[in-house]
Amino acid sequence: MSSPYDVVVIGGGMSGLMAAISLVEKGRNVAVISKGDPVCCLSTGCIDLFSRGDDPIGGIELLPDYHPYRLIGVERVKESLDIFQDIMRVAGLPYVGDLRVNRKILTPFGTDKITCLVPETMESADCDPDEYIHVISFKGLKDFYPSYITSGHVNSGYSIFDAGVSSTSAIAERFEDKDFLQEFISWLLNLSLPDGKIAFPAVLGTRSSMSIFNEISNRLERDIFEIPTIPPSIPGERLFNRFKNLFLEKGGSLYWGKEIASVEKLGGRIEAVTLSTRGRPTRVQGTLFILATGSFVSGGLYASMDDVRETVFDLETYLPGERKDWFNEDFFIPGHTIEKAGIRVDSTLRPLDSEFSNLFVCGSILAFTEVMKYGCGHGTAIATGVAAANMCEELL
Amino acid sequence: MESDFQHCIRCTICVENCPVFRVNPEFPGPKQAGPDTERFRCDEETSLDKWIGLCSQCKRCEIACPYGVNPAEIILREQLSYGEKHFRPLANRLFANNYYLGTFSSALALFVNKFASLTFIKKVMNVFGLSTYMPFPGFYVHSLGRSWRWKGRRNSPRKVVFFYGCYLNFNRPDIGRGIRDLLASLGLKVVMPKQVCCGLPALGNGDIKTARKFARRNAEILAGYIDKGYDVIYACTSCGLTLTHDYPGILNIPSGKKIAENTYNLNEYLVKLIDEDYIKPEFAPVDLKVAYHIPCHLRASGIGYPAASLFEKIPGLEYHVLDDHCCGLSGSYGFKRKNQETAIKLGRTAAATLKACNPDYIVSDCGACRMQLGHFAGLPALDPSEIVMRSLANPAKITKK
Repeated sequence: MSSPYDVVVIGGGMSGLMAAISLVEKGRNVAVISKGDPVCCLSTGCIDLFSRGDDPIGGIELLPDYHPYRLIGVERVKESLDIFQDIMRVAGLPYVGDLRVNRKILTPFGTDKITCLVPETMESADCDPDEYIHVISFKGLKDFYPSYITSGHVNSGYSIFDAGVSSTSAIAERFEDKDFLQEFISWLLNLSLPDGKIAFPAVLGTRSSMSIFNEISNRLERDIFEIPTIPPSIPGERLFNRFKNLFLEKGGSLYWGKEIASVEKLGGRIEAVTLSTRGRPTRVQGTLFILATGSFVSGGLYASMDDVRETVFDLETYLPGERKDWFNEDFFIPGHTIEKAGIRVDSTLRPLDSEFSNLFVCGSILAFTEVMKYGCGHGTAIATGVAAANMCEELL
Repeated sequence: MESDFQHCIRCTICVENCPVFRVNPEFPGPKQAGPDTERFRCDEETSLDKWIGLCSQCKRCEIACPYGVNPAEIILREQLSYGEKHFRPLANRLFANNYYLGTFSSALALFVNKFASLTFIKKVMNVFGLSTYMPFPGFYVHSLGRSWRWKGRRNSPRKVVFFYGCYLNFNRPDIGRGIRDLLASLGLKVVMPKQVCCGLPALGNGDIKTARKFARRNAEILAGYIDKGYDVIYACTSCGLTLTHDYPGILNIPSGKKIAENTYNLNEYLVKLIDEDYIKPEFAPVDLKVAYHIPCHLRASGIGYPAASLFEKIPGLEYHVLDDHCCGLSGSYGFKRKNQETAIKLGRTAAATLKACNPDYIVSDCGACRMQLGHFAGLPALDPSEIVMRSLANPAKITKK
């Protein structure tokens, strides 16, 4: 569909696409603008809801009341994750998990990652310490060392397959070839492995991952699971591609790969945005706008020496304390002060102190999300994305 | 030159999106071939990147990069520098001068078409580094460049220059004439002045001098019309990207910016005319199911997918938009023997995803995509304008299979 759109979503990550899909499913005319592929492509593909405890929903209930989860309410968080699971089931990439119980998955470093919803290919990844695990790796695959991975498991073994290629993308692509898959399965059967689980790096196919996974599991007659790899991360790519394609299938419009050059305002409202190209800027007009550009890594926030700025609309940005408080040697520690930075919103997800009446904000750009501290990245993205879509729906 | 390679944070999103990297282990991928190696490339050094030519310039890495790095352009500059400092194979020389090849072949179309289909000639072509896994496109004597007898509408407040590009000119002049007539029937003044190749085949084959020569000639013609109040319309998305992106960019044409600002994709222009209420076409139902393959260079243009907006307006038309795959041909890339295997693998994958929609036709804005996907899917492949023309009851008739 074309301009003017009912809703223009800026940011093509988990939150933006979740909002956009919720809206196109209700028959709205929606555009998504993204300057590039989102960090979701680099992720494990797992949905962390609240990873600093055993019970995610219980943990959310104890968060400070200005946290985005609390702003929209626990019930809405639960509903949005149900919607997510329904969507993924239909899209052929089912997710499993219990919102009340966190689960563990094995990482390539041999540690456990705590998460909530996982793709079905990681369902069996929570292993008993004395269970036999056999790790399969591929010749030349970087940063995937079986002895590392099984360091916590006395009862384990590994084998290495030569796929002729050594990157995650290329191996995953080979699995889409039926002959290759058969050759691989025959090789596995010939290994005559002892009883127990078999673990693979998450490279078992891209588009047809579920059928490839099921075929291997059925032929070997045992539980198998995938271990997410360092990027290029195939489970992250699978999740993103399903999301994006679902949006396209439902008639959504994509503007990909260009940054926003300017914003047209009209009487306290955003009228349109333009995308920068070398020639005439592309104009995208909308009734309502959703900002889902992410935090620092995604470029929604930009930190200069003495300030933090929101990069599209120059919204008022909340900053925690003084400049000296933003510093910590380790950016990735849970609870880094700068993580609190972002856009403050009211319970309708409208930015506080903003001149725009037709703008909603969702995802990790929201102030106080603190993704690292609470382990809640994809969870807040999905929940606030659905919530922003609902807010738009009320106004349309 | 923009030193944007320093903005790379090595996230590998470009690698995830590189079609060549997925199927050809010889190519180290856009991150390594682009920003990673860039810091070791000095002006005085002779390029040693033997694999640099394996990049097909689909630009998917640039579309995907969230940090504004343009790996494909970094690689393109290196391809050009490699081309200047090394002997360029015959296939590259031939395809760089695609325009002359087309002019020659269409003049002798009957002979050339027959000749190119002979098994013996195909063997000779293979020896000279040309790939023949699919038939070369047929040529027509009555190319678009020879449409001088056509007069069209004398005057209209909306005037457009149609930049048709080599493929429509030499290989599918019927579509070109259809588009011309469609625009005229909507009340526009359409002109098709003498024009040459946009220059992309030369750029893609390591020959920037030839690319600039073509670009300067076109720029002079097009800028002249723009000054007289004309808009430029293109149908081929690769020609379009070259006019709007490379003329003001890597080719550094003085009037490049002016051309980029006044050049429109055909479907984008139709949507614009409808939005402005300048035209009110009545779309008749078209009872078809089509799989619409988005060409990589349309994605890279940053204008969205305007043909999909037109399809939306056509009653009865069921269309599926697919943008995950590069067709693998990338203009002359797949016609080179060293890229043959890559092109075939990518073509099969892309065709299979289109066929999964069970369509009557494949639709794509790019002539090369249509050739490749039509070949691998075994289905007729149409330009979006052919669907629009059918809906608007234009003379160009297509029938359901």
